[in-house]
Amino acid sequence: MSTAEKTIQDAHALEGAPVLVGRPDDRALTESLLSPVLGPTRKGWLLLLFALLGGVGFWTLSLVTTLFVGIGAWGNNIPVAWAFDITNFVWWIGIGHAGTLISAILLLFQQKWRTSINRFAEAMTLFAVAMAGVYPVIHLGRPWLFWWLIPYPSTNLIWPNFKSALPWDVFAISTYATVSFLFWYLGLIPDLATLRDAAKTRGRRIVYGIMSFGWRGSARHWRHYRIGYLLLAGLSTPLVVSVHTIVSFDFAISQLPGWHTTIFPPYFVAGAIFSGFAMVLTLMIPARRLLGYQHVVTERHLDNMAKVILATGLMVFYGYMMEWFMAWYSGSASEAFAFLNRFQGPYRGIFIAQMFCNVVAPQILWFPSMRRNEYVLFLVAILVNVGMWAERFVIIAVSLHRDFIPSSWGMYYPTWVDWGLFLGSICMFGVLFLLFLRFLPAIPLFEVKELRRELEHYGDNAHPGSEEEG
Amino acid sequence: MPSLGLPIYGQKTALETRRWKSIDELAGRADAEPGEFPEGAAETPAGFSRRGFLQILGASAAFAGLACKPPREKLVPYVRKPEAVTPSVPVGYATARSDEGYAVGLVVQAFEGRPVKVEGNRLHPASLGGTDAITQAMVLDLYDPARLAGFTRGGRALAWSAVLQEIAALAREHDKDGGARLRFLVAPTSSPTVADLRRRLLERFPKARFDTWAPAGGDAAQRAGAAIALGRPLDATFEVAKADVILSLDSDFLATEGEHLRSAREFASRREGERMNRLYVAEPRFSVTGGMADHRFRMRGAEVAAFARAVAAELAQAGVAGLAPLGARAEGEHARAARAVAKDLAGARGRSLIVAGARQPPAVHALAAAMNEALGNVGPVVRWRAPVLVDPQAGPDALRALAAEVQAGKVDTLVVTAWNPLHTAPADLELRKVFGKVKNSMVLALRDDETVRAASWRLAASHPLESWGDLRSRDGTVTVVQPLISPLHESTTEVDLFAAFLGEGERGAWRLVRDGWRSRSGAPPAPLPLSGPAAASNPADTNRPRPPDPFDRTWDEWLAAGLLTESAGRPEDAKVDPARVADALGKLPAPAGGIELGFAPDYKVWDGRFLENAWLQELPDPITKLTWENAAHLSPATARRLGLESGELVELARGGRAVVAPVLVVPGHADDAVTVALGYGQRVAGAVGQGAGFDAYALRTSDAPWYAGGATLKKTGKTTELAITQGHFSMEGRAIALALDHEELPRAKAELDEHRGEAPTILQPVDYSEKDYRWGMAIDLSKCIGCSACTAACQAENNIPVVGKEQVLRSREMHWIRVDRYFEGPAEDPQSVTQPLACVHCEMAPCEYVCPVNATVHSDEGLNEMVYNRCVGTRYCSNNCPYKVRRFNFLDYHGDMAPTLQMLMNPDVTVRARGVMEKCTYCTQRIQRARIDARVGGRKIGPDEVVPACAQACPSEAIVFGNLNDARSRVSRKHADARRYDLLHELGTRPRTAYLVKLRNPNPELA
Repeated sequence: MSTAEKTIQDAHALEGAPVLVGRPDDRALTESLLSPVLGPTRKGWLLLLFALLGGVGFWTLSLVTTLFVGIGAWGNNIPVAWAFDITNFVWWIGIGHAGTLISAILLLFQQKWRTSINRFAEAMTLFAVAMAGVYPVIHLGRPWLFWWLIPYPSTNLIWPNFKSALPWDVFAISTYATVSFLFWYLGLIPDLATLRDAAKTRGRRIVYGIMSFGWRGSARHWRHYRIGYLLLAGLSTPLVVSVHTIVSFDFAISQLPGWHTTIFPPYFVAGAIFSGFAMVLTLMIPARRLLGYQHVVTERHLDNMAKVILATGLMVFYGYMMEWFMAWYSGSASEAFAFLNRFQGPYRGIFIAQMFCNVVAPQILWFPSMRRNEYVLFLVAILVNVGMWAERFVIIAVSLHRDFIPSSWGMYYPTWVDWGLFLGSICMFGVLFLLFLRFLPAIPLFEVKELRRELEHYGDNAHPGSEEEG
Repeated sequence: MPSLGLPIYGQKTALETRRWKSIDELAGRADAEPGEFPEGAAETPAGFSRRGFLQILGASAAFAGLACKPPREKLVPYVRKPEAVTPSVPVGYATARSDEGYAVGLVVQAFEGRPVKVEGNRLHPASLGGTDAITQAMVLDLYDPARLAGFTRGGRALAWSAVLQEIAALAREHDKDGGARLRFLVAPTSSPTVADLRRRLLERFPKARFDTWAPAGGDAAQRAGAAIALGRPLDATFEVAKADVILSLDSDFLATEGEHLRSAREFASRREGERMNRLYVAEPRFSVTGGMADHRFRMRGAEVAAFARAVAAELAQAGVAGLAPLGARAEGEHARAARAVAKDLAGARGRSLIVAGARQPPAVHALAAAMNEALGNVGPVVRWRAPVLVDPQAGPDALRALAAEVQAGKVDTLVVTAWNPLHTAPADLELRKVFGKVKNSMVLALRDDETVRAASWRLAASHPLESWGDLRSRDGTVTVVQPLISPLHESTTEVDLFAAFLGEGERGAWRLVRDGWRSRSGAPPAPLPLSGPAAASNPADTNRPRPPDPFDRTWDEWLAAGLLTESAGRPEDAKVDPARVADALGKLPAPAGGIELGFAPDYKVWDGRFLENAWLQELPDPITKLTWENAAHLSPATARRLGLESGELVELARGGRAVVAPVLVVPGHADDAVTVALGYGQRVAGAVGQGAGFDAYALRTSDAPWYAGGATLKKTGKTTELAITQGHFSMEGRAIALALDHEELPRAKAELDEHRGEAPTILQPVDYSEKDYRWGMAIDLSKCIGCSACTAACQAENNIPVVGKEQVLRSREMHWIRVDRYFEGPAEDPQSVTQPLACVHCEMAPCEYVCPVNATVHSDEGLNEMVYNRCVGTRYCSNNCPYKVRRFNFLDYHGDMAPTLQMLMNPDVTVRARGVMEKCTYCTQRIQRARIDARVGGRKIGPDEVVPACAQACPSEAIVFGNLNDARSRVSRKHADARRYDLLHELGTRPRTAYLVKLRNPNPELA
């Protein structure tokens, strides 16, 4: 019987949704949380890795095809010059919002329940941003010239056009990726040191030793760590809002009906958090089961995240309603048509899927029992992921396919390369995640240990998140 | 001047030696191997004796000291006569192309000896400067790498000299029986040189015969009608500008029939202002002319005659004398229309025009002639002219007689210069089956085709831009056809071929044409060079001094102007004999029941001869916007009744013959009728034409060349995807292509004001009024007939690639200017508006501010410029373009161009790479050229000096370009017109291209 199962069994039966099940000691926590890293390679993990690597092969083939054949390998056309490419980009970037939100904003708000899931969410953020970052480059007609979007003192004295939202994207995304990475890595350092100390082979000790930058856990180290972590949290917080705001500007600054909307920044940010939390749940629910993390990632976490999904889902729905209202209220025929076309046009199936997944499905989370039901939550999370992808497709491709001049209307149909780049990126994301689970501590050890002490001190029913009591 | 390595007339170049002629040859397959010796040099010609060999041997020795090249024939440029070719400066040469045998005067721009762009000749009566899409695309045929090259007989490659020898031997054979077993199958032509040659051939072979075959009919029906009505097969020309009321009886006179370029110009000149003309069209399928109609009466092709008779009856009723015996009152839906039309026509005596279509039987033409005469239109509007075609008969009858002779084994030698008769011949003649019986079938063709494959002699034809010749227009005006380039491949012309049968093949077309005109002009024979008898064999050798030849100057003037001044003939006087017309009308068969099958020449591939032209294949059909194939056009009601939808494959059958064709539902088509375009589905086709469409000729029989009853459509259960560039026919109630009735215009000012003028903005617009130039365009929808010549011209001028059917299906066509066609009114019987749309060069351009790399920027003269080098291909500009006129190189569409196709590229325009956005530039290269000229001349660019390719090609002058800062410019006046409006004005884009509302002039009685 593993430590994890024992601690769960030992838990008091009447305790309601704790943030930490039982009171495992430090050794038990180290053992249980590091076992996926230090333990032997599991067959299931290997099997999953190879399955996903197959998908990565498809992804690579699609990438190579795109680079050698050109954008013509996709289904994009005139009028639908952006389709799966930018849809996937916005989808991944949106997913990449949960990590920083959980780590930074919830840290600043002293939400202690974040501790056991923050690293997991941050890793997901990084990988999602990495996946997102591929599209803006490969969607260019001449991707080898992507660096022309970066302002650098070039000899021809031409700078990027700062009026365009695309150079803003370059800044927003590269900043976000950098800060997210630093934040994540900084949080990893104490645990890397634990790994170094617990590692059984010399090779691991060296690798983890280098990665932990000589962390010894001295009071001085902890003091610097605390300051640095808080500063980065402060730095990341505005980024959570800014990145998707700027991504939404890609559309909002244009004059295309369906894109040209001032509500886009808040609506996109809400949508990003919505989809990000859904993706965290999608990954977390199976991972906690398979890796035996139920005692640290408890029903309480699931419940809280479900609440965030419900809340942001309602915000997104408000965004939809505002769009429809403005389409009618603006009196612009093309604006009204763009929205009617979503309901009635040839892509209405995708619109219906969007509405069902994003608006109808999350409503089940009003029921507490549903919020704690892994299966229901997992299903809702998957649906939200699908729904948010559909939303981006509807905004991007469906707005483009019929705009002002009916003679230019067209249809977009994806090719296998489009599918390869979409599904393949999910596989690549999965591979990165599997590697993360195998080689790095997915649950921040030291924070959970800290949390246990706080809980011991104040008791479970105190509010560990509040300043006075915590 | 250093050699640019480019072909100059009369010189062989390195390029030619590098060229390969076919994929087979490139891959080293088949018998295409050039071998050690030049083609034909290693083979002994048939019937070649030892004596002949010695003759050649001697001659070879004698000629060894001379240049072994064709004579350096002097070409004369159109306007300027530069002392030498200036690299990068194009020179225009006047020439002509044959349109069903008649001349269309052209001025072809050549860069360093490469013809690159075809324009209309403003001086020529059949062009007036306009061109059609087919003419624009002819230059692509010239450079087609898949053209036929060289000469073969029975698979043996022959040099031209050997061909001449063998033809001479053949001719001697035929001398024995006076050519009784010699036949020529030719295309209609008006060439006086060919006429001379034919006359002389018939003198040598009195029993031989020339048969003319024009699959698309030409105006043979008109001449047959004139023969009935006037007793003589006369041609008709129209002064369309003088007609107030026009009735078209199934005539597409604005786009394909008669002098359509001139008709379009004259018709359009009357589509604005106080004295607007009014056009009635009665036709089965929606034609370009039908699209311009103020009232369009859709009816089956066989019902047009009854409608014409109804109009005649109503005219007689209205007091027009002489028509009573010809008329027949109609019952039913068109009776009211006939009455109104007749009343309108009767009110415009001497100022009206009735024109019958090429697809109508001669009796309808005779009736039209009678009505024109009765209305007093003959003289002011209609002119009878002596036919200029060498052989006015070009119908299936001659072909039938020929087929019968071939079947009976009475023909030994058949010389075919008509285009691909095995494909185009009526199916009932079974020409395919009997053609093999001819011992010597000699085919002159530009490209490999079915007839070439079946022929024993295969002779590559020179392209018209490589050939000397002459042609006449309908009024008799003569144009000398001069080449712009020496033949790219070993090839010959009809003139040379006919001369070969006379033993004069060595003289060359240039001398045959020139000497013919020397004698016709009454000039004395050319003086001999001053020194040496040897020079007599090469009089064009410019190195030897020659006495001045007075004819040189005349000839140069003709060549420079592109026509022989005052060569037009006079109109003929002729009187209609009503009795004969009535007799012919009485003999017209009653319209057959069932579904009527109508054939029509295609707007793009014509009778099929342009099937291999990729520009034309990809050009959207003016009405259906279909590319790369043909379809069976049905009306919505008929399609509903038969349970068919667009894209469904049906088995279309008539009289035991059947083809599988895709259905295309076309609003405005006549019910219970199906129209198919000719020329597609050829059995032998190259890379472009392979698999394009179905063969409509397979259903066409000689008794019913245009309309046949009793067609059946049977579902096959299969469907296909039709590559249509415009999926939506409706404007969705938006103000896009505006059309108003003439009467409504004064009242529509307030409505139009919403679409023009300053738009409210918080941004200070850039003020361009102080600049020297503010380029702008105006497109008059009232004048646009939708023929799509602009699209083809733009493609030629701007090196626009062809993308292929697959890419068109993916909405990736590259045309910078598209012609949008919208239907208005009921789906069964709509009216159409056509709207050419290219980049409108917004002053507040939505594309510019979204480009992250400044690849699309504004010039200080207000042009929206595209910097290809800067473009990284985000495509954001296209997303933000409300007009969706930007085009993206999704793939490497140009690819590795064949060397000949590289010669086609306009050197002034960048050939765009993969991943780059492109769009209309207002032909910025032409602006720059004008700027250079103006700077050299120390002056400003004139108000109308710059003419972009689209405006230049437009036959109806619907597109006008110029400097908006110059009040004298035509475009300034157009921008100030009461009809002006801006497309999507509400977006505040401040477009530089303004549109002028289309006006219609409906008859109040038919409202």
